Amino acid sequence: MVPGSKTSDFVSNLFRATDQVGKKRGGFEEFHWLSKYNSGSAQPHDEKEEIGSESLLLDSPELAVPRQSIAKGATPIAARESVIRYQMAMKEDDYTITEVIRVFVGTWNVNGQAPGASLADWLASDVEPPDIYAIGFQELDLSKEAFLFNDTPREDEWRFAVTNSLHPKAKYRRIALVRLVGMMLLVFVREPYAPFVQSVATETVGTGIMGKLGNKGGVCVRLDLHRTSICFVNSHLAAHVEEYDRRNQDFHDICSRASFTFHTTPPSPSRSIKDHDQVYWLGDLNYRITDLDPRLVKELVDAENYKPILECDQLKIQHRMKNIFVGFKEGEINFRPTYKYDTGTDNWDSSEKNRAPAWCDRILWKGDQIKQQHYRSHPQLCISDHKPVSAVFLSEIRVVDEVKYRKIHEEVMKKLDKLENEFLPQVMVDNTEVIFDVLRFLEPQSKELIIANTGQVPVQFEFIKKLDDTSYCKDWLHIEPFTGFIKPGEKCDIKLEVYVDKKSACKLNSGQDKLYDILVLHLEGGKDIFITVTGTYERSCFGSSIETLVYVTVPIREVPIGKLMELENSKDTPQSQPYAIPKEIWFLVDHLYRYGLKQQHLFEHPGLHHEVIQIRNWLDNGSSDPLPGSVHSVAEALLLLLESTAEPIIPYNLHNVCLGASSNYLQCKQIVMQLSEHTKNVFLYLCAFLQELLSHSADNELDAKTIATLFGAIFLRDPPRSRSDMAARSRANQQTLDRKKANFVYHFLVNDQSELIGCS
Amino acid sequence: MASAPYSYSYIFKYIIIGDMGVGKSCILHQFTDKKFMSDCPHTIGVEFGTRIIEVSGQKIKLQIWDTAGQERFRAVTRSYYRGAAGALMVYDITRRSTYNHLSSWLTDTRNLTNPSTGIFLIGNKRDVEDQRDVTYEEAKDFAEENGLMFVEASAKTGEKVEEAFLETAKKIYQSIQDGKLDLNAAESGVQHKPSQKPRGAISNDQQANKDSCSC
Repeated sequence: MVPGSKTSDFVSNLFRATDQVGKKRGGFEEFHWLSKYNSGSAQPHDEKEEIGSESLLLDSPELAVPRQSIAKGATPIAARESVIRYQMAMKEDDYTITEVIRVFVGTWNVNGQAPGASLADWLASDVEPPDIYAIGFQELDLSKEAFLFNDTPREDEWRFAVTNSLHPKAKYRRIALVRLVGMMLLVFVREPYAPFVQSVATETVGTGIMGKLGNKGGVCVRLDLHRTSICFVNSHLAAHVEEYDRRNQDFHDICSRASFTFHTTPPSPSRSIKDHDQVYWLGDLNYRITDLDPRLVKELVDAENYKPILECDQLKIQHRMKNIFVGFKEGEINFRPTYKYDTGTDNWDSSEKNRAPAWCDRILWKGDQIKQQHYRSHPQLCISDHKPVSAVFLSEIRVVDEVKYRKIHEEVMKKLDKLENEFLPQVMVDNTEVIFDVLRFLEPQSKELIIANTGQVPVQFEFIKKLDDTSYCKDWLHIEPFTGFIKPGEKCDIKLEVYVDKKSACKLNSGQDKLYDILVLHLEGGKDIFITVTGTYERSCFGSSIETLVYVTVPIREVPIGKLMELENSKDTPQSQPYAIPKEIWFLVDHLYRYGLKQQHLFEHPGLHHEVIQIRNWLDNGSSDPLPGSVHSVAEALLLLLESTAEPIIPYNLHNVCLGASSNYLQCKQIVMQLSEHTKNVFLYLCAFLQELLSHSADNELDAKTIATLFGAIFLRDPPRSRSDMAARSRANQQTLDRKKANFVYHFLVNDQSELIGCS
Repeated sequence: MASAPYSYSYIFKYIIIGDMGVGKSCILHQFTDKKFMSDCPHTIGVEFGTRIIEVSGQKIKLQIWDTAGQERFRAVTRSYYRGAAGALMVYDITRRSTYNHLSSWLTDTRNLTNPSTGIFLIGNKRDVEDQRDVTYEEAKDFAEENGLMFVEASAKTGEKVEEAFLETAKKIYQSIQDGKLDLNAAESGVQHKPSQKPRGAISNDQQANKDSCSC
């Protein structure tokens, strides 16, 4: 072997191995190709054997990764494509049929001659026109120009001659012409096959001096016809009778060095000659007859007794010894040796060398389902010292049944799409309509939802906002957790808590909001589920406006909802006579006036939650029983009632004016005079009560400043602000504001208000 | 490995809209799974399906959002129109009321999607011809007046279902070719080249949530 040929063989194997590994993603145990270098015999890796049934394919771990990523839409879709190609390759038998084509292979060493007469005797001697022609020439031009510059007028001459001599019963299209010095190979296909020829590539290998020059070597054409890959090699191997070793080496050089690159999807490593379904090898292989007297050879030839001569044919011997053309076949030779003749005659070479005639010009093939129909020479053509040789093969090719192919391709696509959809996140929610019982102010209720991951992939869920909403649920609802991760087959409990507090009560009372929300449960990379949350809110005096309450002369629960909403929303004064202040405020203050004036830490001690609820019920439902609960609870209920109104006592629009005027009692008084009648009444009533309370400070230990601060925050409730506003407001700033609020109220706790009350 | 020659080139977002019970989910299922779900439950939310199709040699991934048809969800499902490249508007040929509501669905679609959104009107359930309540002709007229593509289809037999999805994709693809659809616009409903986050919808960008307002 020539130095380097083993390396290049190794490299081409590496390429193929990379390809295999790329397809298989198997691991190191797949490197069967390495065994070639251990045992010396190639063990081509047959991946089809590795894959059993379709179900195995789907369950094989190597596909799990692309499937999951496909499902998430994060696919390198190339993975999907390779799965499709892989599956299609697996099913090839299901959508291909075989078709027999007629392949004509011809070879002629023309000894540098120009074509003279028609080549029809060689190329069109059969009744049936072939479907493919592969016609090879050697020694097209023996001139120095051709040798050194690879340039020759003979190329065109012979090309014309060939084109004009193709079988007249069919139309052909030339799909390749490749030439290296004197070696030329032309490939034609019949017109109807032309559209199905793909990935045509040519290659030349010079094996002359330095392993480069092109006086010897090979030229090759590869192509895919339908689904069958075909390679034609035209070679001119080393000359001289005894040089069969060099010829063997040339053969191996061509095999190892010929490397076809052509565009494929996906790009695949280059292919060598042996990577084809069918290989046809033609040419002046130059193997001779040795160990037989030339005269005897001629005698045997004349007697058409070729067998004893062929016993001494170097090619036959080397082939039998598996030194060359391993896996190739050659048909029986029933024609006279093709070399060497006196030019222009059928006479053996008459020069002094007196060599034995030989079958230098041969055609061999490799591949299943190829039948040789003819193998012959064409002695009529005698311009050269060689006779042309031709072979006709009936070869099976695989043809795609377009209808079946489309159907199977669609099935594969469908299966993948189905997989992709099956691998979308899936959950079951045990209840998509969560209905709460009657809900009351300050009484929380909760329900549980179970989200079960019923799909095949982990689920990341999250309750998301609806368009134009600021949060994923209403402010009276709390979802815990609102986001999470669930593994397949597992569950997550979600707690939905509904709690109507002083912030949300007024909207529910006025009908501006309802206990109704649609939650959007979003699965990342998947669907959304709507969960409806409903409940009935029992209206309360808490959360009602003062303007409404003064017109409600009976317990609020006795007023129809429609009437309440009308009161809350109507701008014009109702017919009936209002109270001066809401009766609820009066009840609470009156209670404190009677039982709490001397109570230490009144308004400073918190009440009891359940007592506040009892007080709420007492106020809302009406009762002849005394007001329940301790004075502290009553005090807290009063504060809560004042805090839960839609507008604070000092309405939001006067908020800043008040803060500005807080150091000036006169201005403060003017502002109070601007308040609406009922609000002003409530304000002054409460201030009067607080003055009374403070007059008992010896007992209750309350001081005006504390009370002013507490009620300042209530009368001058901060307007609802956006988050950015809140952030802008520093703690120090807030203290200043709180002090101003306290100042404002303080004026009314220490000064006599009787003149104001008189005004109302 | 370069992925260019074999990835899908585009992602189109579709929405399926229409009254409750007209067969929106069945149409989606027929398209993605080639199966008819005879006892399909009402969609409570928005189902999601996907399939890769080919238009003019281009592979296109369709992301299909199948919306709940119930009236009470209408306000919520409006969130999903945004960024739809295609809208399949479905009515039931055996229930006139579903046909009568089309103009309201169409108004929503026009208001909430961009002008290049391809709208396809589908009269579903053509397999039950004997219960037909809306003639082909009047629906065809309605479609023409409003510039909609139109077929009568059957999610049960699969007839014309494929066509509706494919024709819509062709129309969208044509708009891209004609330059009518700006791929860079956030709400075109079309993404060029596969991306890591093909799901926009109503999530992600608007996800400032409760935890962040409690400061």
